[in-house]
Amino acid sequence: MSKNEPINLKQDRRQWLKASATVLGASLLPLPAVAAEASQAEAPPATPQSKPAGGKTAAPFFTPAQYALVEELSETIIPADSHSGGAKAAKVADYIEQELRESTDDSRKSTWHEGLRLVDLMSQHYHGKSFVDSSSEDRIAVLTVLSDNDHMTDLPEVRFFRELKHLTVRGYYTSKIGIHNELEYKGNRLLLEFVGCDDPAPKSS
Amino acid sequence: MAESEIDLNKTYDAVVVGSGAAGGMAAHVLTSRGLQVLMLEAGKKLPIEQELRSMEWPYNNPHRGELPPDRHALTFNEYTIRNPPYGPGFEKSKHLHSYIGSSDYVKNIVVDERENPFTGTNYAWVRARCLGGKTNIWGRLALRLSDYDFKAKSRDGFGEDWPISYSDLAPYYDKVDLYLGITGVKENLPHLPDSIFQRPTRLNCAEVTLKQSLQKMGRVLTQYRAGVTTDGLKHNKYRSRCWGRGACERKGGCDIHAAFDSPTGLIYPAADTGNLTLRTNAVVREVTVDPQTGKASGVHFIDSQTMKDYTVRGKVVIVAASTLESTRLLLLSKSRLYPNGLANSSGHVGHNFCEHVMGPGVTGQVKNLVGKPPTLDDGRPGGFYLTRFRNLTEKHPKFIRGYGFEGGSGARMFPQGTDAHGFGASFKEEVRQNQGSYIGMGAFGEVLARYENYVDLDPVVKDKLGIPALRFHYKFGDNEHRMAEDMKETAQEMFEAAGFKITHVSNRVLTEGWSIHELGTARMGNDPKTSVLNQFQQSHDVKNLFVVDGSAFVNASCQNPTWTIMALCWRSCDYLADEFGKGNL
Repeated sequence: MSKNEPINLKQDRRQWLKASATVLGASLLPLPAVAAEASQAEAPPATPQSKPAGGKTAAPFFTPAQYALVEELSETIIPADSHSGGAKAAKVADYIEQELRESTDDSRKSTWHEGLRLVDLMSQHYHGKSFVDSSSEDRIAVLTVLSDNDHMTDLPEVRFFRELKHLTVRGYYTSKIGIHNELEYKGNRLLLEFVGCDDPAPKSS
Repeated sequence: MAESEIDLNKTYDAVVVGSGAAGGMAAHVLTSRGLQVLMLEAGKKLPIEQELRSMEWPYNNPHRGELPPDRHALTFNEYTIRNPPYGPGFEKSKHLHSYIGSSDYVKNIVVDERENPFTGTNYAWVRARCLGGKTNIWGRLALRLSDYDFKAKSRDGFGEDWPISYSDLAPYYDKVDLYLGITGVKENLPHLPDSIFQRPTRLNCAEVTLKQSLQKMGRVLTQYRAGVTTDGLKHNKYRSRCWGRGACERKGGCDIHAAFDSPTGLIYPAADTGNLTLRTNAVVREVTVDPQTGKASGVHFIDSQTMKDYTVRGKVVIVAASTLESTRLLLLSKSRLYPNGLANSSGHVGHNFCEHVMGPGVTGQVKNLVGKPPTLDDGRPGGFYLTRFRNLTEKHPKFIRGYGFEGGSGARMFPQGTDAHGFGASFKEEVRQNQGSYIGMGAFGEVLARYENYVDLDPVVKDKLGIPALRFHYKFGDNEHRMAEDMKETAQEMFEAAGFKITHVSNRVLTEGWSIHELGTARMGNDPKTSVLNQFQQSHDVKNLFVVDGSAFVNASCQNPTWTIMALCWRSCDYLADEFGKGNL
């Protein structure tokens, strides 16, 4: 707009209405690729990734044995089923590893180290096997004890379970598998027109 | 945009303090009227598209969209249990932010609480120090006020009427609509006047169900009226039309600028006139005064990066630093002539502080949507707005004024329902089956503008630059608490009437400040003894001083304020330019 030129808003509005109608089709960009599950479905690395985003090498938070245990715990929280992959395929353990490695909260870190130890003790006590070596029924039984008592006590293993569930949920539903395969999320794309309700009088019950 | 260097030897026609909705609008109107304008912004100019990254998938973000581990955003519990200044006790975090700063996309937009302390009563004060201020991340609900608000005292006897009527402001609301773009649907409501709307969004099925049920109660649910251009703006090359991408719900902003923000909507076009000089990192700490004339002579500012002091002259000074920062600046601008601070002969600067009370709300489930194939529900700037229904034709026995609800329903990128009990296959299945079936809404109610709710300067505490901090004396009163009770009850009644299964009721009133709608601390009025500004946001005391942001509001109404801030500012700056041309300032 040139200097001091008054703006004719009505005129402008008509013009851009017309203009936007003509460019509409041409401007519609291709929709972003949605499904990219193939690479995600591969097995996770045997040792957790130890390079943070900054490029500095940081010591892994979990030992390989702890990492394996976190993988099985997260998979028990959100398992693979006929609809989509579970927490293991979505590499939730990598997400948890990074969260804890970077955390500045020492009590949170000790909740995890202590919790992993206590869950394995529970598994030994109930089934005579480590959690990783247990059947999925036995794994579910251990976590059910914690889940069913998660509002009754503040024992470290219960606090750990709440943290485990929180980070597993967070990591899973922000992963490619969680968003695209499991939830089949339809948004985050360019739309020509807004989507709405086609049935003007839906019954709610 | 063309930028020019600040000229400290020049006397600018107008110095504008702040670059948000009000400062941007002042720059737009005055530069288009030919005035030479200097705009000073306390924060920096961010590479905003790189900050917002509206279409970034969470799995492509280093922390899935959440804050890096060295930062913390205050939570409701922390605001409630701790007292200002918020900072001590959070030493584990290198940076501490207000609650809105809890996402990777806003972390550089909001201030660090430790560098910008305040004291007094609990308050969730959200400040964005960067070009454009809070317009970079605003919620975009763009509503008009009506004479139910401007003449509220005449209706119920409380407070003051505004010195203007709806008819004075309506033409300027039209100008704002056309210049910036707004989406919505006409409803012909006397208490919520229509705008000149562009292409509307659409309600989804749960929302239509609620709308139809409300019609039987005589209540109106309408599409979210968003300050978003859905058709595009031919006169603005910096903004795209809305493409319904749907990241609008996350804490962040719109990186294609379909949602209004001050830089692309107002400041860049103003700069293109050649009449605007923009200086960022300029923290104004005083409006200077000519002791001979008693008029404002310019401002004194500190460069936040070099800590150097500067003064710059202006024929007119326009304060638009956001309600509470503008108030702080007036109070800081003490002189022999104005010992109580500038524009404060009435003693009302800082008082009559008002906003919106939030918290009560409800979440429900629509049974026949459980298990339906996933639908696209969030590809739009907002869901719905349920308009005010209290104290319009009938008088509520327990409180005056009113409230509205903002809400929405359907599937989101991160699903609702993950707080359900349990784990395993059934948990996973439940989250998937339920994801599109939720509907929720929360209320925004008018907080009465009361003299005893105020801010002043803390005598001891100073910010990082050594500028006295603001001290809050502000609490919700009985009217707000009684209104909040009613919000909670009506929310449940309306969901039950619509046949929704209620899954969660929010009872708690959120911390003061949560609405980010602080208003009223330099109110307009016809009487210089009880008001700070006249109907053109011009100081009664200092006629070349204007305060054009939300501080000028006489009451808060229950409608979100941004559109009214801009309409008022346009009207005032039109007047300013007229008077400037006549040599009256």
